[in-house]
Amino acid sequence: MRILFCLFILLCTPIIANAQERVLDIQEVVSASGIKAWLIEDESLPIISLEFSFKGAGSINESLDQQGVSKLLSNMLDEGAGDLDSQAFQKALSDHSISLSFSGSRDHFGGQVKTLSRHKDKAFNLLSMALSSPRFDSEPLERMKKSNISRIKSSLTDPDWIAARLQNDLIYKGHPYAQNSGGTISTLELISADDLRAYKDKYLTRNRLIVSAAGDIDAKELALILDQIFQSIPENELSHKEVPFKPQTGTYLYSKDIPQTIIEISYPAFDRNDPDYYAAQVFNYIFGGGGFGSRLMEEVREKQGLTYGIYSGFSFLDQAQNLSISTSTQNDKVDDVLKIINQEIEKIQNTPVGGDELQNAKDYLIGSVPLTLTSTDKISGTALGMLSNARPIDYLDTYGDKIGAITSEDIQRVARRILIKENQTIVFVGQPQSAIKTNAITEIPNVQ
Amino acid sequence: MVQHQRLKNRPMPQSPTKPPFAKIILASFAFFLFCMCVSPVAFAKVFNAQTLTLDNGLQIVVVNNKRSPVITHMIWYKVGAADEQAGFSGMAHYLEHLLFKGTDKYEPGEFSRTVKRYGGNDNAFTSYDFTAYFQSIGKEHLEKMMIMEADRMLNAAPPPEHYASEKQVVLEERRQNTENDPRSLFNEQMRSIMFVNHPYGTPVIGWMDEIKTYEWNDVKAFYDRWYAPNNAIVIISGDVTMDDVKPIAEKTYGILPVKDIPSKTRPVLPPSYALTTLSKSHPAIHEPSFQKIFLGPSYASNRQEALALDILQEILSGGPTTRLYKSLVVDQKIAISAGMASSSDALDFGTLWLYGTPSAGISLPDLEKAIEAEVQNIIQNGVTDQEVADAILRMQDAAIFARDSLSGPAMIIGRAMTTGQSLDEIENWPQDIAKITAEDVKAVAAKYLNPSVPYHRAPVTGYLTPQAGDLAGDKE
Repeated sequence: MRILFCLFILLCTPIIANAQERVLDIQEVVSASGIKAWLIEDESLPIISLEFSFKGAGSINESLDQQGVSKLLSNMLDEGAGDLDSQAFQKALSDHSISLSFSGSRDHFGGQVKTLSRHKDKAFNLLSMALSSPRFDSEPLERMKKSNISRIKSSLTDPDWIAARLQNDLIYKGHPYAQNSGGTISTLELISADDLRAYKDKYLTRNRLIVSAAGDIDAKELALILDQIFQSIPENELSHKEVPFKPQTGTYLYSKDIPQTIIEISYPAFDRNDPDYYAAQVFNYIFGGGGFGSRLMEEVREKQGLTYGIYSGFSFLDQAQNLSISTSTQNDKVDDVLKIINQEIEKIQNTPVGGDELQNAKDYLIGSVPLTLTSTDKISGTALGMLSNARPIDYLDTYGDKIGAITSEDIQRVARRILIKENQTIVFVGQPQSAIKTNAITEIPNVQ
Repeated sequence: MVQHQRLKNRPMPQSPTKPPFAKIILASFAFFLFCMCVSPVAFAKVFNAQTLTLDNGLQIVVVNNKRSPVITHMIWYKVGAADEQAGFSGMAHYLEHLLFKGTDKYEPGEFSRTVKRYGGNDNAFTSYDFTAYFQSIGKEHLEKMMIMEADRMLNAAPPPEHYASEKQVVLEERRQNTENDPRSLFNEQMRSIMFVNHPYGTPVIGWMDEIKTYEWNDVKAFYDRWYAPNNAIVIISGDVTMDDVKPIAEKTYGILPVKDIPSKTRPVLPPSYALTTLSKSHPAIHEPSFQKIFLGPSYASNRQEALALDILQEILSGGPTTRLYKSLVVDQKIAISAGMASSSDALDFGTLWLYGTPSAGISLPDLEKAIEAEVQNIIQNGVTDQEVADAILRMQDAAIFARDSLSGPAMIIGRAMTTGQSLDEIENWPQDIAKITAEDVKAVAAKYLNPSVPYHRAPVTGYLTPQAGDLAGDKE
């Protein structure tokens, strides 16, 4: 949950304000049975992308001893359905060049099918089968478990992964978000086909469903397809539960024999519906979200040569939101990097952002939107993201005005709201030669 | 888990897990296949690119894509890490970093800041045979991009304090991507054994101790020697046509002077006959892995064989229903993963990798034997016509998907053209791949993947394992 996620937020939300023309020509399509979808038609290529998500059906629902059940479910839905066993199902996909995938996040459970127009009937049929009659045969189930366990062991070599795992454990302490959504070596072993079926029946329900589509398909056809794929999925009650939790603040060290220390700094933030949401986008771009040209990158990399990269970025989960600063530097420079970060925090809290810097940030956030709409699946993904965040259909058309209205006072206020030293959680992975007192972590939680 | 987002100036070392170029490049137009048996007349090109060459030798390629009012503008220089002198490893990549540090006209960082202000993104990367710089941005900014990129071709002037600090950045980059990860270090050593005496055995980012030694005047000499309009290709992909691009290219790039570009005389790769095995037990490794690297053909050295290898790879390793995964992971259950990757996009030599992760209780040599048995089966008995036909169709379909991207087509074309392919060859790929037969596939397997009769270099085998008593490794 490091940087790509931040980038996703940065790219998926902003948009242009152009009164006459819509940034993205989204139609709302409603099927005969009442299933809704957002559609962006585009016949320039013979390609269709259809994406969907079951809101709130992610790993947040997992108990401690079932960590990884939604991950495993996402692996198993395309491993055999109806009268097709795993190999037959996979062969049907590959013989028709169909990409079908499912994925669980902490909050949601989603899926996507991408197909050439000439294979669309097959693609939608296979998706429908995967959702309505998955087999969960023991052969692929054991295979997927082994593959996941292998992935976890392999991840343990990666200090970035370790830092992210520790950070999640600390900042979401007491909440299911703190668990390992990829599963643990012992929990994965114990998950059964019945567990998958029970999870699917309980959470992958029609009243949680959101759908988007883009490419070579029209509204009339999509309406029929929606019923074909999703109509048979039953509804179920929503069980929404807010879980209280307390982030563990302070500085933590996982000692690892590597020449460069991974540094993760995290602060609680606020949710997407906060009045400061748009100011937070501009603030983050200026502070560390913008890559080259952002203050952190300019100071730590460009002027001092202390790192290959430093970024800040928001994570907006349904029940927890954070701003993280991520970087890495050779072990004996950790304190130098932290000193610059702290200087930049003080600066952005106490000195108003200059006119040019503010304007440049807004220009980028508004002007870069068309770059996010350059492929069929980027377009369907943008639409699904808006649905997932409960944004209105004209969200992209008004975003520019909202970004444009942000002032230097707004930036300063956001910096003061978020960058509070007492709220800070710092994770080091490496062998930092640092004067900072750290709490040693010797075991990575929720892995074994 | 997610890693760092794409970083500026990132080198692209080859790795066995990276999908090989041909898999991405693919030609397109699967529709054509259906009519082909009836009348082999219709001619669908992959990208329908337009091209012309300016008077100073700079080639321009345009791929039209009207989906969004944006473009990707790339310049590809036909020079890379394999053109460095011995002792100066990583210099091509360091130069790429320094080209963001200003010219006579622009301040350090001003290029990227300008791109950002216009709502665009920019980046660059270095490999063995090429170095490329690009911006994705609104199409109305093409002229400004060309003005700045043309300026950067000849007038780089990084201030001394910047080339000192940027050296530190590159060292941190190497720590982050290589020194911090024993798998990267191992991979680097596999290559260095395969390519003894040849620059493909030296990491693109350079050896730690050599990166520290060279200065701007060394780098400047390399820059002056290789950066020229007649040693570059400009590729624009997006909502423009050659009619839009040509006049702008002429007044920006077109005025740059031609240089005498030296011929590429790279050290030879001597033959070897002794089998080499590298093994390492490392405390940070928790999952054993096997890999074996073979020397292969490149599209530049033998296009026909490279095409046949693409098909071989698709048949061995094209997904969960193809030979290696199906046999070793699904049926025999002796591996958790297994595959083959070929990389034929190189001026000099391609590489072929076999790799896998064993199931619990299976030794690496046993896994190796099982993988090699699958290869031997093809060398002895060949593949079926149906497998070849299926592979061809899947690869042609993949080419249609390759068009569904702004920068993808420019990436594919640039990479192919700087490693010896012509634009026509790229465009005609679907037709050419469709001519490959089961016999061709069997022949390339026998020529390049037979360890007992190696082609030019004996393969290098690698075993990377956890240390004995490792907790995570012993579990299960």
